[in-house]
Amino acid sequence: MPEGFDNVAWIARTRTEGDVAAWLALIPYATRIGVSAVPDPEGDGLLFRLEPAPGNVGNVLLPALHGGVVAAFMETAATLDLMLSAREATLPRIVDLSIDYLRTARAVPTFARCLLLREGRRLANVQVTAWQESESVPVATARLHFVLGESGRVRHEQRQGLKSVRGAPYRRQ
Amino acid sequence: MPSPDRSPDAWRRALTRFVRVIPHTRELGLEVLAADAEAIRMRLPWSDDLLGDASRGLVHGGVLTMLLDTVCGSAVLRGLPEPEVCPTLDLRVDHFRPAVAGLALYAEARVVGVTASVVFTEGILWQEEGRQVARGIGNFVRLGPRNTPPGFAEALFAANHDKESGNA
Repeated sequence: MPEGFDNVAWIARTRTEGDVAAWLALIPYATRIGVSAVPDPEGDGLLFRLEPAPGNVGNVLLPALHGGVVAAFMETAATLDLMLSAREATLPRIVDLSIDYLRTARAVPTFARCLLLREGRRLANVQVTAWQESESVPVATARLHFVLGESGRVRHEQRQGLKSVRGAPYRRQ
Repeated sequence: MPSPDRSPDAWRRALTRFVRVIPHTRELGLEVLAADAEAIRMRLPWSDDLLGDASRGLVHGGVLTMLLDTVCGSAVLRGLPEPEVCPTLDLRVDHFRPAVAGLALYAEARVVGVTASVVFTEGILWQEEGRQVARGIGNFVRLGPRNTPPGFAEALFAANHDKESGNA
């Protein structure tokens, strides 16, 4: 089976190696907005970074980052952090997200750290904090719920998804 | 001075200008389909950069959040007596089913409440008619006329005589 998120053995191996870059390589939107991760110098987890790329700007007057891009960064961080810290190799699937915007995110590097508040049998709750110059001055906080996928369920849902694509009424690009 | 044209079509052109001034949405080719008093409709064309899972061909959840933030924020501009700068206060997104590769994303948002300080909105996303992929609830802060740059509304509508393909 090819390497990818549909291959639980691959997820398990890259997880053991802590190869978060291999995961990011399969997340084109995260690559586009410039997300990276390094081992957290102040803990066991990961420290995430969002580049202030010109394409991430949402307000040209200030200028400020697009709030949706900041949210996408924090969702990516939560997903990867959970994949690394969950009890078993898993492919989390987002259920919902709630984000509070505390301050304008200016066009400078943004950082994020995650906290796994609960890992149940099927669901996980992850809290994310994002900041720029100083961690004590967060620009946004978010909390997300994920379903913890197991391989069989993931593959079944993929087949269902593909079925619905074939019946799509809209033209493909 | 003639009274400004604030018809649905003038609003569609104004919001088209708005999303083309925003670098992120301009580069993704976001289109404004309609801007009626009741709701704003947008279309995000498919591109491979929207993927969040290249192995299985699924859209990044963050794309959906970004799109809901944009369409709800546009509904805010449309829903106020005069357009004000209104940053997002908070946003909640529920994911009903994964969005899949190869299909455009459609977005619709409306204002559900306005107070002196906050605008309440809700939005939905879909790829196939009748099958919602996500729902969003976004609240936006009214900074008021004092904190809105002079000429903000005029700038939104100024380009209406321009060709839509022109520079935003």
